Amino acid sequence: MAAADSPSTALRRRDLCSRGIRLAGKMRADVIDLLDAYVERQGLDASASVAAVEGVPLAAVERWDEQTGTQRLLENLAAYRAFRTLLAQMLEEQREQLGEADAGLGRALAAVLLQVSAFTYHLEELLRLESRGIPGEEEDGPPPPPRLSIFEQKLRGLGVLRELAQWAVRSTRDLRQLAKPSSATGTAPGLTESP
Amino acid sequence: DSHIQYERVGADVTMKCGSMDWDAAVTWTANGTDINESRLNGSYLILKNVNLSQSGQYSCYEGSSWHLKYQTSLRVGMPPKEPVLMCRSNNYPKGFYCSWHLPTPTYIPNTFNISVIHGTKDMVCEKDVIPKNRCHIRYLQLFSTVKYKVTLTVTNALGKNSTTLTFDEFAIVKPDPPESVVAKPVPNNPRRLEVSWQNPSSWPDPESFPLKFFLRYRPLILDQWQHVELSDGTSHTITDAYAGKEYIIQVAAKDNDIGTWSDWSVAVHATPWTEEPKHLTTEAQITETTSASTSSFMAPPTTKICDKGTVVGSGAVAVCWTAGLVVAAYSVLFI
Repeated sequence: MAAADSPSTALRRRDLCSRGIRLAGKMRADVIDLLDAYVERQGLDASASVAAVEGVPLAAVERWDEQTGTQRLLENLAAYRAFRTLLAQMLEEQREQLGEADAGLGRALAAVLLQVSAFTYHLEELLRLESRGIPGEEEDGPPPPPRLSIFEQKLRGLGVLRELAQWAVRSTRDLRQLAKPSSATGTAPGLTESP
Repeated sequence: DSHIQYERVGADVTMKCGSMDWDAAVTWTANGTDINESRLNGSYLILKNVNLSQSGQYSCYEGSSWHLKYQTSLRVGMPPKEPVLMCRSNNYPKGFYCSWHLPTPTYIPNTFNISVIHGTKDMVCEKDVIPKNRCHIRYLQLFSTVKYKVTLTVTNALGKNSTTLTFDEFAIVKPDPPESVVAKPVPNNPRRLEVSWQNPSSWPDPESFPLKFFLRYRPLILDQWQHVELSDGTSHTITDAYAGKEYIIQVAAKDNDIGTWSDWSVAVHATPWTEEPKHLTTEAQITETTSASTSSFMAPPTTKICDKGTVVGSGAVAVCWTAGLVVAAYSVLFI
């Protein structure tokens, strides 16, 4: 049987979760603005369907309500680490394609990248709080992508931003689950797993 | 042999009397009433440009024997127009429902078939018993970027029509309005109203999926609404109400992160607290007041005369001023 949280641990978790929720909310708002700008500047159709691209973590999940707290944190961490790499790639590609002609888009991408990095750190803090080992980055990193045409790069960028927007909502929900007092004990969606 | 025959409004209908020859002597009835021979072409019944009122039971009898030779139920109606389809999730994240109706009636039976596809996956939309033009779907996945495609086909004997809706998971989230909205005056506060409400009972997990709220209020005498958005809690105190005025108040709800605002709740009415105007309580006080003006007018016992020093709401002050004017007018009359 897992031990109950100390009051200070519970308080720290709630604090991290609240701040994480605010960060995820801001991140989502900025990603949605970035999506609009990206579609316009890249000359894409906003309603275009983008097939799942290798390496882009999908936010879609089955039986979300049955996940444990640890599963939530680990899946979030893996996703945001992947987004960090993908956004850095997008930034590089955007600079190559548009150069200084569209510094605004570059700045917006960089700002979102910063938020993703901050959120990743936040997730690592939550995992440390639960005395969970943090998986090494090399295990989570996406494989090097095949060389894509410029159009394929743009479409992939669209897919990345759309999934990131979904993840921001999912993360908000995940953190709310984690912040619940009941998540500190027991086996039902929470951080402590039964033996 | 009894048949059912569906015909379109405005069509020309020819009914044969079963296997009877064209030149056989027959009698046709419509709902038991003989049909005039002028409508017959031989033994065939001709109905031109049929309308809805011509629906009914048509029977054909052999001339002399009155044997029933043929019977049909004629149903005049129309093929379906494009149906109106709506899908909504008022119980996120459990699932969503779709409901539909026809923009104009067909006057004949219709069958509805609905298909829901999520990506490449077919999903089952379970029909509700009541109402029968509705079905619901459980989400198998959450947070998917893949859109849902819902196609509704309506078919009847005269034709078919269909419509398709495509949407993503977040776009259709719309809670039901807040429930149990209550508005109360605050004692000793002439400009405040306390409003409280509850989450809609259809929203399954407000703790994990919190709602935010929008409150609107106005005095009945004005058209302009005041608005307040509230990110948490299910109560709010209005602090800028006009004293003594009756207010109308409504609340709407939205998921904190996704979807659209609910419809407005049922409206509630409330009036802020006002202090009762003070009375003069002794007869001596009333007599002293009237003798100074040399009139014989005496205020009736039920008249409330305001004390100028009393702090009252704006409405009560107007009433006080009017009563004073009446007293003065009568005083002048009797000088």
